[in-house]
Amino acid sequence: MIEVKELTKKYGDRTAINQLNFSVARGEILGFLGQNGAGKTTTMKILTGFMPASSGTASIGGYDVFENPLEVKRKIGYLPETPPIYPELLVTEYLSFVADLRGVPKSEKSKKTDKVIELCNLGDVRRRLIGNLSKGFRQRVGLAQALIHDPEVLILDEPTVGLDPKQVNEARNLIKGLRQEKTVIYSTHILSEVAATCDRIIVIDKGNIVAQEALNTMGATGNLIKTEILVRRIGDNLKQRLSAVSGVKGVNIISNGTHRLVVESEAKEEIMAEVSKVVVESQSGLIRMSPVQQALEEYYLSLITGKGGSLS
Amino acid sequence: MSGSIGILKKELRSYFYSPIAYVILGVFLFIMGVIFAKFVDIYQHFNSVQRFGGGQGITLDKLATYLYQNMAFILCFVTPFLTMKLYAEEKRQHTFELLFTAPLRKFDLVLGKFLAAYSMMVFMVLVSFIYVFFMILWGNPELPIIGTTYLGLLLALACYVSLGGLISAMTSSQAIAAVWTFIALLLLWLLQSLGQGITAKTGFVEWGPLLVFLSPLGHFNSFSEGLIHVKDIVYFLSFTLITLYFTHCVVESNRWR
Ligand SMILES: Nc1ncnc2c1ncn2[C@@H]1O[C@H](COP(=O)(O)OP(=O)(O)OP(=O)(O)O)[C@@H](O)[C@H]1O
Ligand SMILES: [Mg+2]
Repeated sequence: MIEVKELTKKYGDRTAINQLNFSVARGEILGFLGQNGAGKTTTMKILTGFMPASSGTASIGGYDVFENPLEVKRKIGYLPETPPIYPELLVTEYLSFVADLRGVPKSEKSKKTDKVIELCNLGDVRRRLIGNLSKGFRQRVGLAQALIHDPEVLILDEPTVGLDPKQVNEARNLIKGLRQEKTVIYSTHILSEVAATCDRIIVIDKGNIVAQEALNTMGATGNLIKTEILVRRIGDNLKQRLSAVSGVKGVNIISNGTHRLVVESEAKEEIMAEVSKVVVESQSGLIRMSPVQQALEEYYLSLITGKGGSLS
Repeated sequence: MSGSIGILKKELRSYFYSPIAYVILGVFLFIMGVIFAKFVDIYQHFNSVQRFGGGQGITLDKLATYLYQNMAFILCFVTPFLTMKLYAEEKRQHTFELLFTAPLRKFDLVLGKFLAAYSMMVFMVLVSFIYVFFMILWGNPELPIIGTTYLGLLLALACYVSLGGLISAMTSSQAIAAVWTFIALLLLWLLQSLGQGITAKTGFVEWGPLLVFLSPLGHFNSFSEGLIHVKDIVYFLSFTLITLYFTHCVVESNRWR
C-alpha cells in the first residue's frame, strides 16, 4: 500500500531524513518510533503530500505522492503533530468544513460526521467552540478530522499525546479496530503503545532507520527474549524440565511470596508454546505468562543510543 | 471548485463569529454618515450662496462623486482588517497542514479566501447604498453615474482585497499583515500625486505617467465621472489576477520550508 524508496529530506544543509526505505502492506498497522528530532514528522509530511522530498520516491496505493498528489490525498487521512483546528468554529462546523475539503458528498456528510463524533467520543462537545475545548478534546477533534472521509490510509502523528489514560486506551482500541480495514502509520515515543497496537515497528534515529521488524520478534534479532511466568506454586522439577526445552537458555526462579519465573529463550513461538505446556503439565497453576517489556525497552534504548542491539 | 466553496463558507463563518466584522461595519457606516452629512451641508451652503447670485452651484452628481472618492479611500483602511487573518492565521494555527493535505485543486485555496473577503467588502459597500437612497429621495442624482461609480468601486475593492491577501500570506502575524496592507494601499493611492510631479525618463519609459497609471486613483476617477474605459477595467482585473497568482506562489512556497 505504501512504498518508500530512498526518501531523503534536507532542510538547508541539515539532513532530516536520510534515504529511508520501507513499505507498509494493506491493512497493516505500522508504528513509527524515534526520539525527538528523529524525522518522524518530516517523513509523514512528505507522505501526505504536505511538502516535497529532496530526493527519493514515495507512493501510496500505487500513486506517486509527487506526481499524483490529488489521488494520494483522496486516500489519506492525516492527523498532524499540532491538531489543525479553527478555534472560532463549533466542533460540528469544523467537521463539516473538513468534509467539504475532503469532497464528502452532501448526502453522506451528516451521517459521516455523526459516525466520527461517536468514534472519537465527541458527543458531549459537538455544539461547543473548539477554542474552548481542552487539549485532549482538541486532539480528539483532530483525530475525528482525519477519519471523516473514511480514508484507506491513516497517517497519525502522535495521536495519543494529551489524552487521559482512559482516552489513550480508547484511541488505541480505535486504531486497533481499524486493522485489516485500513492501513495505518502512526508515530509515538511510547514503546508500550506500539507494543499494544502495532503489527510492525520502524525505529528511526537521526533520520536513519535503525530497526524494522514485526513486533513479536522485536528485541530479539538473533538474541534472546525474556518471558515472565507467574505461578501459584513451583511444581516438581519445574526448573529442570523448563531448562530441558530446546531453545531455552536460562531459567530463574524468584520466590518471595509470589512465585515468579523468568525464562530466557530464543524468540520463537514454538518455544513459548512448549514452555507453557511444561508449566501446565507440572501442575504449577499458571497465572500469567508475559514477555518482559523491559527487554523491549532496553532494546529500543540500545538502538537509539547506538550501543548495538544486544540484550543481556 | 467545490473546494473553494468549502473554504469560502468557512471564512464567512469565521468573519461573522468574530466581533471584528461588526465593529468594522459599524465604524465604516458611521464615518460614511459623517462625511455624507458634511457634504450635504456644503451642498446646501453652495446652493444658498448661488441663489443670491454669487459663486458656482454644486450639483448632486458632483456631491456623489466626492462621496465615492472618499469611500474608496476609507475602504483602504477597512481592507486590512478583513484580509489580515486570511493566511497569517492559518500559518499561526498550523492549519495549512490540513489545507495542503486535502485534495484541493491548484487555485481553490486562494480563490475561496479571496471570494470570502471580497464578499464581505461588497456587503459593506452595498449597505452604504442607504446614503444613495437618501440622495434619490431628496434630489435626482444621475443614476447612471452612480452605477458606474459602484462598478469602479467594486473593481477597486478586488485589488485591495487581493493585495491584502498577498501580504497576509507573507507573514504569520495578523498585526504585521494589517499594517503593511494599509501602507501598501496608501502608497498605491499616493502614486498618483507622486507620478504627477515626476518628469524623469529612461529610454522610452516615462516614469511620471507610468506611476500615475499604476495608481488605482485615476482609473477609479474615470468611473466616478461616468466613464467606462476598457483600459481601466483591464487595469483592475489584471492587478487582481496577478496579485492572486503571486499569493498562490507565496502560499505554495510555505511548503518548501
Ligand atoms: N522547518 C524546518 N526547518 C529546519 N529544520 C527542520 C524543520 N523541521 C524539522 N527540522 C529538523 O528536522 C529534523 C527532524 O524533525 P522532525 O520534526 O521530523 O522530528 P520528529 O521525529 O517528528 O520529532 P518529535 O518527536 O520531536 O516530533 C530535526 O532535526 C529538526 O530540527
Ligand atoms: Mg514529530
